[in-house]
Amino acid sequence: MGKAQRKKEQGQNRKAGGQGLREQAHDRTKKGDGARGSRREWYKLDLSAIVYPTLQRRDFSSVYRLSVVLKEEVQPEILQQALDMTLPRFPTYKAAIRKGLFWRYLEPNNRPGPFVQEDVKNPCQPMHFKANNRYLVRVYYYGKRISLEAHHSLGDGTGGMCVLQTLTATYLRLLGHGDIANEGFVLDIQGTPDAGELEDAYMRYANAKVCPPRQEEKAYRVRGTGEPFYTLNIIDGIMSVAQVMEVARKYHATITEYLNAVLLQALLTKQGKERHVRLRPVKIAMPVNLRRFFPSITLRNFITMIYPGVDPRLGEYTFEEIVEQVHNYMRYHINEKLLRGDITTNAATQRNPLIRVVPLFIKDFVVRTFYTRVQDRNSSAGLTNMGAMKVPKGMAPYVERFDIYMGQPFSRRTNCAIISFEDILTVNFASSIVEADVERYFFRKLVKDGIHVKIESNRE
Amino acid sequence: MSYCVNCGVELDASARKCALCNTPVLNPNVLEQIAQAATPFPEEKGQVEAVKRKDLGLLLSLVVLATAVTCGLLNFLTFRKEMWSLAVIGACVVLWVILIPVVINVKQPVYVSLLLDGGAVGIYLYMLTFLTGSAGWFWGLGLFIVLLVTGLLEVFTFCVRKLPRSFLTMSLYVFTGAGLLCVGLDLLIKHYLGGVLRLGWSAVVLTVCGILDVAIITMLSRRRLRNAVRRRLHF
Repeated sequence: MGKAQRKKEQGQNRKAGGQGLREQAHDRTKKGDGARGSRREWYKLDLSAIVYPTLQRRDFSSVYRLSVVLKEEVQPEILQQALDMTLPRFPTYKAAIRKGLFWRYLEPNNRPGPFVQEDVKNPCQPMHFKANNRYLVRVYYYGKRISLEAHHSLGDGTGGMCVLQTLTATYLRLLGHGDIANEGFVLDIQGTPDAGELEDAYMRYANAKVCPPRQEEKAYRVRGTGEPFYTLNIIDGIMSVAQVMEVARKYHATITEYLNAVLLQALLTKQGKERHVRLRPVKIAMPVNLRRFFPSITLRNFITMIYPGVDPRLGEYTFEEIVEQVHNYMRYHINEKLLRGDITTNAATQRNPLIRVVPLFIKDFVVRTFYTRVQDRNSSAGLTNMGAMKVPKGMAPYVERFDIYMGQPFSRRTNCAIISFEDILTVNFASSIVEADVERYFFRKLVKDGIHVKIESNRE
Repeated sequence: MSYCVNCGVELDASARKCALCNTPVLNPNVLEQIAQAATPFPEEKGQVEAVKRKDLGLLLSLVVLATAVTCGLLNFLTFRKEMWSLAVIGACVVLWVILIPVVINVKQPVYVSLLLDGGAVGIYLYMLTFLTGSAGWFWGLGLFIVLLVTGLLEVFTFCVRKLPRSFLTMSLYVFTGAGLLCVGLDLLIKHYLGGVLRLGWSAVVLTVCGILDVAIITMLSRRRLRNAVRRRLHF
């Protein structure tokens, strides 16, 4: 993006400072910056999405899953009808991924599908780009649950949640529950996609004057017996938001900070019991939703990673110290300035003209090697918190809870995802390891702190 | 409703054991309920949908077949001097056999694929004997080289797939394979030329590979050494 264009964007952002995100996008579009009303023929992958397809293996895809548990059994025929009506509203989800000479891109997919299917025991299976009529989304149903699986190159959890909630609202309307308004995550399926929803928001905000360097150090990696292909172990912990909040308050922390600290302590305990010659720092890879800091209504990826952690080589940490460490780390790192610097560093490589002209297969090789040797070893586990989900008033009586799974980990480890709806908070672990030690230490600590936890799992 | 006696968590109504610590649920009051309760996840496992490459397979088969038939007809009707089309037809057969596991039968075991590839190359060499005028070189040397290479490839594939795989072990397999291949080639060539069955140039290769193999095995058996090599050779 050229300097002049960046300045123009900044000017627009300042002008739109006090307006809501959607009004801001409209404002930008009116000025001719977008292409409202005219469907594009193809879409460039956003800055994050470039990485995910390069990591694709026969037994791995960056697929995440979002589920909504309703209060009544799901009717598959109606759900299919709702899906057919909903998906055209999301052109970047009704898309196929293709290879160019230098970059991959998304192009509209008008093949039949995707078709709703009965849920399976092992979710988040690899998603081959040429299978499933080239669709990169899957919709499942099981009992009262509707699940949406999407490839990360299409968008992040917020974008996926928009698709899932709009689909659920359409489904409920088809069942006769007509009083559901189009607000929050529920979009108007008759409406035209806004240019702001389809933009690569990273490039708009990657305009810091410097590219801050990153400190990278190998983190502890969980040891365990790997599960065979086609197995993803899931453990869901269901608890009360009020209870967790009360306990978190006791430690002077937010729910995210508290659960982060519990996971760090579980990993520390695991490392301590494994008899390592050399201890390593324990770090958690945690995505931060950038929409909180940079106004955007994009449905594509707009997240960056932070790595809260503790270093056991410095001494033994009490739980209170871990909470304090996480609390301070988050206060320091999660602010508009540092996040802007971080995305500028990410964008610098993509903007470099020398890198841009390198053929795709060389880029793939370099990115894959970097990810395997550096990025993946930078954290011991993943943790994401989607926060408290809001649904339109008319939809709330039909929804019991939401679930989120970060999907198959790239290397053997455990990923943890948190989401809450009304007073139900679910912590969903997805792991490719036979042993459930980390999960056990995690939930036992919650029970010890007086939180009532209900466990659901697909483990045999 | 059962609770795990170890973890203190409430378990799902259908759970037969705690998912966290595997402690079985031993509550005589709820045994029947466990059997009847709906599980939170389905029992059926899903499988990744295979990529459909039928069209590509059909296209490739037809192109290869058309090339072979056209060359055969040209040879038969126009350029009749020599049986040159056999070289092209043989190459087409080899290409098609190599492409079977890629586009036609993706589930074909790799060992069968290698065997078929070896067979196809053998047939190709035999077809070439009609061009060269004599089949002696084939029965005396060509066939045995194909058998040797195919056999070594099968063993190498087995090692890579079934035995531990790392940078060092891969190097061990490669050096051992290269040493054995050179020895085999040397002996077969000597046998064909009627010479004495004694190692010549291959002895040098075998010695180098042997030394490298011994060094790698030592590194593999000594953890400290192995880690030092990994540290210094990491890339």
